[in-house]
Amino acid sequence: MESLFLLIPIAGIFVVIAIIIFIWAVKGDQFDDLNREGERILFEDDDTDKKA
Amino acid sequence: MTNRCFHCGDPIPAGVDIASHLQNNRHEFCCYGCQAIAEHICGADLSLYYERRENTAGSRLTEDNTPIFELLDDKQLYNQYVHQTANEHLIQVALTGITCSACAWLIEKHLGHQIGIKNVHVNLSSSIATITWDPSLTSVKTIAKELQFIGYAATPYLPGEQHQQLHRDKKQAIIRLGIAGVGMMQVMMSAIAMYAGDLQGMEDIYRQMLRWISFLFATPVVIYAGWPFYRGAARDLKNRHFTMDLPVSLGVLLAYGSSVLALYTQSGHVYFDSVTMFIFFLLLGRFLETVARSYHSGAHQQEPLTAVKIRLDNELKTIPQQQLKTGDTVIIEPGQILPVDGVLLSDMTSIDESSLTGEYTPIIKKQGDCLKAQTVNVEQLIEVRVENIGQNTHAAAISRITERALGEKPKVAIVADKVAHYFVIAVLITASLTYAFWSYMGESEAYWIMVSVLVVTCPCALSLATPVALTTITNTLKRNGFLITRGHVIEALAKTNHIVFDKTGTLTQGDFSITRVKCFDLSLTKDYVLSIISGLEQHSKHPLANAFSNFIPANVVQIKNLSSLGVQGVLEQDTFYFGNSSLMHSIGLAIPKKVESNAAELSLYLANTQHVIAEITLCDVLRPEAESTIKALRQQGIRISLLTGDTLESAKGVLNPEWFDDFKTNCLPDEKWQWIKEQSNHNILMVGDGLNDVPALAGATTSLAMGASTDLAKIHSDAILLNEHLSTIITAINSAKRCRKVIKQNLLWAASYNATLLPLAIAGLIPPWVAAIGMALSSLLVVVNATRLTNA
Repeated sequence: MESLFLLIPIAGIFVVIAIIIFIWAVKGDQFDDLNREGERILFEDDDTDKKA
Repeated sequence: MTNRCFHCGDPIPAGVDIASHLQNNRHEFCCYGCQAIAEHICGADLSLYYERRENTAGSRLTEDNTPIFELLDDKQLYNQYVHQTANEHLIQVALTGITCSACAWLIEKHLGHQIGIKNVHVNLSSSIATITWDPSLTSVKTIAKELQFIGYAATPYLPGEQHQQLHRDKKQAIIRLGIAGVGMMQVMMSAIAMYAGDLQGMEDIYRQMLRWISFLFATPVVIYAGWPFYRGAARDLKNRHFTMDLPVSLGVLLAYGSSVLALYTQSGHVYFDSVTMFIFFLLLGRFLETVARSYHSGAHQQEPLTAVKIRLDNELKTIPQQQLKTGDTVIIEPGQILPVDGVLLSDMTSIDESSLTGEYTPIIKKQGDCLKAQTVNVEQLIEVRVENIGQNTHAAAISRITERALGEKPKVAIVADKVAHYFVIAVLITASLTYAFWSYMGESEAYWIMVSVLVVTCPCALSLATPVALTTITNTLKRNGFLITRGHVIEALAKTNHIVFDKTGTLTQGDFSITRVKCFDLSLTKDYVLSIISGLEQHSKHPLANAFSNFIPANVVQIKNLSSLGVQGVLEQDTFYFGNSSLMHSIGLAIPKKVESNAAELSLYLANTQHVIAEITLCDVLRPEAESTIKALRQQGIRISLLTGDTLESAKGVLNPEWFDDFKTNCLPDEKWQWIKEQSNHNILMVGDGLNDVPALAGATTSLAMGASTDLAKIHSDAILLNEHLSTIITAINSAKRCRKVIKQNLLWAASYNATLLPLAIAGLIPPWVAAIGMALSSLLVVVNATRLTNA
């Protein structure tokens, strides 16, 4: 059970990293246009097909 | 539908034969502009656009918008609009004609393939493209031309201060929400371990570690994510007007504070899980409510860049509108909006003043007449001497009245805030009495019992009760074409007992429609007559021309505009004239017996060189659902009034005064607002569309702008009728009433939940995990109850 003293703080560090990445994504305007991003994948797929 | 244009979906004129082989199919077009756009798109291997677009109407190339970009030749303006680094220039442009993701994709792909362009990003919800390019390889003018090639008109965009603030606020709200969500999950994991420990036993050292972990994750949530609530509470205390923010802050801070105390003294309970969950739920509720109400529009710009042509020492020059000076001679094309007040220097033209007066028939102006800013030049290329600019124009005066009206807008009492007021007082009294009682009884745990009273009464369900219901109803109404942009609309709509309508563009369609066609020559069919007129009017910018655009135009050539009389053109070696009765007199033809008409109607005649062929009657007709909507609303006991800038005769021509409780005509913009102010004992809903309605819209309890309104009207309205269907107002009022009912149910449930658990908490019988689960369940019930509103 002593491993918890190590594992839980490590998990905590991962959470902090996740939050930093999230803040970076928001600041980089990635959450600006939620209508668009959901449909983007539909277009990009066909595009690569054509080039192949 | 074979004879519709492949690109824009408009009907193809008879005799026009423009076709191309694209994607191994023959496609027909209505004009060379559309053909060019389609060939350009397919030639660049972007034909996927046509497969993926959501509606068949591609944006049609109307007018060349690129001159605006010539203004950027001016170094100062260029620096203002273009962000420059060593080998990269960046500009934001507002685009018109974007309808779905296919458009955004097309623009990104097409521009991305051009030489020198480094990056293109199109934001679909705001119709703004951000473009980065290498200035040594291409220029902003080339980019604008490329956009024009595929059918989108662009204007340089500079976000206004207010818009940037909104943008920053939204980003911060997302970050707060993310931190609250992640923090809540971590704290909850520790909390579950601790609850399990309570049941099966746990070594103190592990419990203490888990408490510390939950403390570490709860702290940023409480301090950073919960900040908006404390700010609201501080404002409440200053204004002595309590809203939900105060009980929320009180609950959060007390529960957090006592948990920290418990952690430090290693006694009592920690409530970090309840606190973080509470903050996350509330932030989520508020965020969704804001998103549901958000409305993007290019109108958020500070001062849009507009190009105007002026004559300077007999030379034509294009300058930005902001640089116009009094005394300049400005050249206005047909269809252009006048940017300034001025005096007409050309012989004559006609002006559409509907934005100021609501009167749609263009008014004839002669040399020396005054022209007002924001009106539309209809017929001729004219020259105007600038008299008043910017804040001194007639149109700017309307903005000033609007500011005053906004300041005096009546406030609507929000049910939840009223509840909050009493709630705070009740909670504080109960908590202090509990503490006093148990201390008096000599109970050592008195403080902890008081804390559990506060946690149990933590107004989670109570403060979620309103936002969830509002979010649900806002989204439902949005799908039905009714967009709510301000928070108080639902409560105000439910109480509405007086609706004020504008006439032109609101009750009527704001456009001329054909009401009667009478052929004097019986050998000709109606369709043939209309197709000749459609052919004559096909290039006209006159508002009347729109009435004929739905008919397949005949292939009329040599079309000539006859100033303030009509048009003439040649079809199969025969000359045709279309215009008013003066035109018929001037070509020496007598009009056969006149069909009786009322003041709102306009009679026009089609003739060839020998005789008058037909009489066409046009009128700004009533929206088909207007009468039934008004009657249905009156049946609900709502007072209906009409306020129009039009004359009594023309209002009576389309409307029956008996439908209304008040029938006011000849109203100036200021008078409309004053009249609404006089009815202060009513909860008024104002419905309007034009510039002349703006002060009234701003000053009414609630206001609704039609979807095709001027930007200013939309900005100052609380809601927008996107589908332009008047009967949606009935749906909205009924939905608002249902929503109010659900809010009341939710508040009642939350209050009775608190009231039931309170005695148990006072008696010291509630363990913390019961309080936490109870809180989550009561919130869930409130949310489920609100989802009933989705089926409107």
